[in-house]
Amino acid sequence: MVAYIEAKNVNLIFTPPNRMPVTALKDFNISVGEGEFVSIVGPSGCGKSTFLNVLLGLIPPHSGEMAINGKRVSGPGQDRAMVFQEFGLLPWRTVLNNVELGLELKGVATSERRPVSQKFIEMVGLAGFEGHYPHELSGGMKQRVGLARALATDPDVLLMDEPFAALDAQTRDIMQAELLRIWQEAKKTVLFVTHQIEEAVYLSDRVIVMTKRPGRAKKIIDIPLPRPRDYEMRVTQEFNDLKLQLWNELKDELTVHGNG
Amino acid sequence: MNDTTSTAVSPVPASAAPVRDEGLGEITRRTFWEANERHALGIGFIVFVLLLWEVIPHILTLSRGMDLFFTTPTQVAMTLYNMFASGEIWPAFKFSAVAFSVGLGLSIVAALPLGVIIGRSHTMNAMLDPFITAFNATPRLVFLPIILVWFGIGMWSVVVVVFIGAVFPLLINTYAGVRNADRLLINVVRSFGASEWQINKLVILPNSMPFIIAGLRLAIGRAILGIVVAEFFGGSSEGIGVMMNDAAGKFQVDIVFAGLVIFMALSLVMVGGVKVLEARLSRWRPENVKSF
Repeated sequence: MVAYIEAKNVNLIFTPPNRMPVTALKDFNISVGEGEFVSIVGPSGCGKSTFLNVLLGLIPPHSGEMAINGKRVSGPGQDRAMVFQEFGLLPWRTVLNNVELGLELKGVATSERRPVSQKFIEMVGLAGFEGHYPHELSGGMKQRVGLARALATDPDVLLMDEPFAALDAQTRDIMQAELLRIWQEAKKTVLFVTHQIEEAVYLSDRVIVMTKRPGRAKKIIDIPLPRPRDYEMRVTQEFNDLKLQLWNELKDELTVHGNG
Repeated sequence: MNDTTSTAVSPVPASAAPVRDEGLGEITRRTFWEANERHALGIGFIVFVLLLWEVIPHILTLSRGMDLFFTTPTQVAMTLYNMFASGEIWPAFKFSAVAFSVGLGLSIVAALPLGVIIGRSHTMNAMLDPFITAFNATPRLVFLPIILVWFGIGMWSVVVVVFIGAVFPLLINTYAGVRNADRLLINVVRSFGASEWQINKLVILPNSMPFIIAGLRLAIGRAILGIVVAEFFGGSSEGIGVMMNDAAGKFQVDIVFAGLVIFMALSLVMVGGVKVLEARLSRWRPENVKSF
């Protein structure tokens, strides 16, 4: 496998004012192939979301190398887009204008970005809601907008930071199925952070288990389930074995600081 | 802004637009009185007070001395009408209006960018905050003598008084709003490659708008106060305030009241203008938090 996303020995230390420095990431290494769906699971505060922000280019690491498709990551770039846990929609913009945000910042003319955003609004199933404001949407719909916004700039890599954590269980199930459909349609490389074992198994080709802070990649588990995947697959023996395997890796990391 | 109540279940979102609460069955139609009660009472009371004022001289015999200081609403209205019809008020009106507009305009032009800079930069904030606090805590009237020395009696002194009155509430509110900006939204636009300027335009300013509007409302009040103070206390030899002051000296009570009506009208028009602006800018807000 040729590495499409490559992170080597990434170190990140936070120095909060008047506090001891915190090592968020220590010699963090991962390697993701093109078109792969990889999840990162780990205990709360292990730095998995932080790593996404580093890879997104929002937080510069203290040391280490990161590259996407051979291109060094040194700041935000058009080859990546993030779907945020708390959606991050601009509340004063309509669905359409939110989806257009990335294209607008890319300098695409209004007449050209209209059909593109329309296409992705339809892809995420929000046709007819273009003129709605975020406060008029349910949580699931907001995250559909977040997903459409990320896809609209046509990034090679989709970073997803616990995108469904703020949704209720049923909406989350629906969104997971939608994500798989869209991923197959849009052919993106996805790096997906979650704290949910079942979600990781259901969606991923591979799952990276992180240690507790300072976060390192502890173990990589292959998910050889066939695709396309459906909801029934979740009750198979194979699926549950994988969940158990993942749980066994994770549980050692969930001690000491308690509530995980 | 942090809408965590959004766990509302909508598993098939594409099927229906968000449905408004239909109420409990039957829609009760409000009568004309129910719908307009507040306005009717408010306007009715003003009319009542004016009428009462009007009839006082007819039911009470005012002493000779009292009569000199008394006027009635109709007399004020007549005076106002005559002053506008004959055009004698225009120079004073124009003077005050220009000083007000220029002073307020300058304060907006200065306060918004400066507020964004102070709100975004810790260094600038630390440097300028004590200065602004001290300035803002000092009554504006204290500065009048030195302003008169520096700018002379006339338009510029009045403009400066209006400016220093209006600029601080706007500045303080703008930077409070900017500091309140949502980190997540800033990160979102940064992740799409936004420049510092684009961050300000796309996130910081819209996000601070409720604060800025509240600041603007305060600033308008301070600007009107500035006009009155500057003109009453010798900042200029023209303007509505000067006209009122002169008229009071000559016991022309109706002219004093005419000036008062003009300032009242100015305040009402400006507050109304801010309300319209606010409504335009808050179309995206949920109904229950529409008021800034």
